[in-house]
Amino acid sequence: MAAMKKTICLSLFCLLVSPPVGQQAHAGETPETILIRQALSNDVSGYRRGDSELTLKTYDERFVAYQGHANGDPRAWTILHENRDALAKQINADLETHRYEITRTIPIISVRTTHAFATTIDSGQVIDRASGATTPVQIQRLWTFLKIEDQWLATAMVSDLGDSLLPAADSGTHDGISDLLQRESQAWEGGNASDILGLFDEHFTGYNGGMTFKPGTWTIAFSGIEEMGKWLDKRLPYTQYDLDRKILHSAVGPSGNEGLAVTHETVAIQHTAGPAKHQKERYVLWTMSRRSGSWKITNMLYDIGLID
Amino acid sequence: MIAKRLTCLLLFSLSACSTTEEQVVDLLEQIAAHPIDSPGWQQAVDNLATIGRPAARQLIARLNPGLYVGEDYREFRDEQEQLRTGCAQALGRIKPRGATAALKDRITAAYTENERTACLWAIGQIGYSQVGIDALKVQLKDSNPVIRIHAAIAIVKMDDNVGDDEIEAAFTDARLAPIALQGLEESSYFGVPLLMRLSTDGGPQQQALRQIIDKVKDQLVTQLTAEEPVHRLRAANALGQIGDPGPTQALANLLTDPSNQVRFSAAAALATLDQAQGIDFLFQALRNTDSILRANAVKFLAEVQSQSGSVESQLISALSAEAPLARAGAAQVLGQARVQTAIASLIEATTDKTAEVRVNAIIALGQIGTGQSRARLESLRTDDDATVAYYAEWALGQLGPS
Repeated sequence: MAAMKKTICLSLFCLLVSPPVGQQAHAGETPETILIRQALSNDVSGYRRGDSELTLKTYDERFVAYQGHANGDPRAWTILHENRDALAKQINADLETHRYEITRTIPIISVRTTHAFATTIDSGQVIDRASGATTPVQIQRLWTFLKIEDQWLATAMVSDLGDSLLPAADSGTHDGISDLLQRESQAWEGGNASDILGLFDEHFTGYNGGMTFKPGTWTIAFSGIEEMGKWLDKRLPYTQYDLDRKILHSAVGPSGNEGLAVTHETVAIQHTAGPAKHQKERYVLWTMSRRSGSWKITNMLYDIGLID
Repeated sequence: MIAKRLTCLLLFSLSACSTTEEQVVDLLEQIAAHPIDSPGWQQAVDNLATIGRPAARQLIARLNPGLYVGEDYREFRDEQEQLRTGCAQALGRIKPRGATAALKDRITAAYTENERTACLWAIGQIGYSQVGIDALKVQLKDSNPVIRIHAAIAIVKMDDNVGDDEIEAAFTDARLAPIALQGLEESSYFGVPLLMRLSTDGGPQQQALRQIIDKVKDQLVTQLTAEEPVHRLRAANALGQIGDPGPTQALANLLTDPSNQVRFSAAAALATLDQAQGIDFLFQALRNTDSILRANAVKFLAEVQSQSGSVESQLISALSAEAPLARAGAAQVLGQARVQTAIASLIEATTDKTAEVRVNAIIALGQIGTGQSRARLESLRTDDDATVAYYAEWALGQLGPS
């Protein structure tokens, strides 16, 4: 009965938030995409109205913002804000000094169970409250979402995501990240599911990049550690993994609690039920956090295409 | 690694007491662990086909690329290819009709040649469905000739000849000819009309075609005892088309088949082979008071006469038979088969004392459409029997202006 009430309430809510006649309708819309669209609309509405509370409703406590530097290649990305509080400070400062006359389009929303990602394009102008000077805005963002108690909250965002692969500056190696990724690689070769899963955040998202850097072709392969665990229980008894991983880029935030990395690796499996071997090379984008004490992987994007 | 192999061996040895679903999972892992067409891969496909329909749901699911996420994630495209190809082959042998919709979505250029050909083959094996044949016809325009020939063969298996030109063209290509030959062999009775045409046209691969016809003939003889009546009657029809007297006794055994259509198909095949048992059966039916049996006799005798001409003299003689039903039926058959040599006898039959015979003779003359009968038909326009007069007018209309 409670579930039925919940469904009815959700349906009514979807009906209320669905665009009125005359506004753009979206093919393949589902209750989940409508809710995500609403969350993204709240964010931009807050900016337009100068209402930081409304904007911040969109964000989860664990929110991390990355700076894309107009580059599609994550080897150029850095960490902008490590949590929601840091973001809130920035928003409040921005709204105090600027007005935002921007509109948002949402080209992509992809949902798998409790995890989702989306892209947005904001366009318009930002006006300096003191001088009245205007700055045109055209910015693409990549968002990740987690559904918590029927509410979709943004867990990460890449600001100024690029449409092409541009050069990236060399980055140093961060020991904590390097250690995490090497342990992850060794855990695969050890073939123990709990060793692998122990390196991942409970709510992590696993993506398949489909050999491109553009989110339009990405799919969510794993929604959280539980699903990945089920896969490993099926996969590991029949396969032996061999991984040769090289870390190409890593970055950590100002407080050193959030990180990202890009690896290039050769992954191979030997089946236990027969002679077939499968092998490929891939680029992998990782994000990680140590808010719980030790570094845990929060996002993992296999097969991101980093060659034009 | 050794420990894993032992675990795997233990899993396989326990499979005898595992559920069907677990058996299927183990066999799918075996497919993933062996290259396509290797003995290990083929054995797993064979075992899945042996499990049959209980395995179908899991096999259909593996065709879908959307499955390979979450707990069914497979990160290697060639591993997915092994699975998809193996599942399609197993489904082609299990033949669940519901699989066609999933299979036809995997025959497009987004998939590998192995996957596409396996799915095309499976669609053909499962047999006719509108959605299946529509998808196959699209593949006849594919740029890859291997895909086109597989699509054409699958279309033949659905009893459609729209791909026949593609198959005929394949016989001039050393790579495609073996695919076409194997496909026609697998097409059983549906491939017989094309096989017979190609084997008498004097084109390439004549010897190979004759060998295939011999193999198909053996399959068809086996199918004469199939459980499903539709297989028995189609096998009988096809054996009549092949025209080899070898299976005469096997066909004669079907003259007492419980199915009406099977009995007539066997009789027609025997009549085509000029066997008295078949001809007698059909002519007896022509005299039967049961109108359904008579209609079948007319239909099958017309086919036999059109195909082989083997019952022409008996039909003309039957116009003078004692039983009016036999005379009327013979006139019907002669008209439908458009037997020119029967015109004089049919004109004579228009004087028959039974109006039904006169009507059928007049209709036959109209169907044959010769001016030789015009004068007689003119005189019948005033026949005492209104139906005779009506059809005389109709037949004259068929002849056109004098």
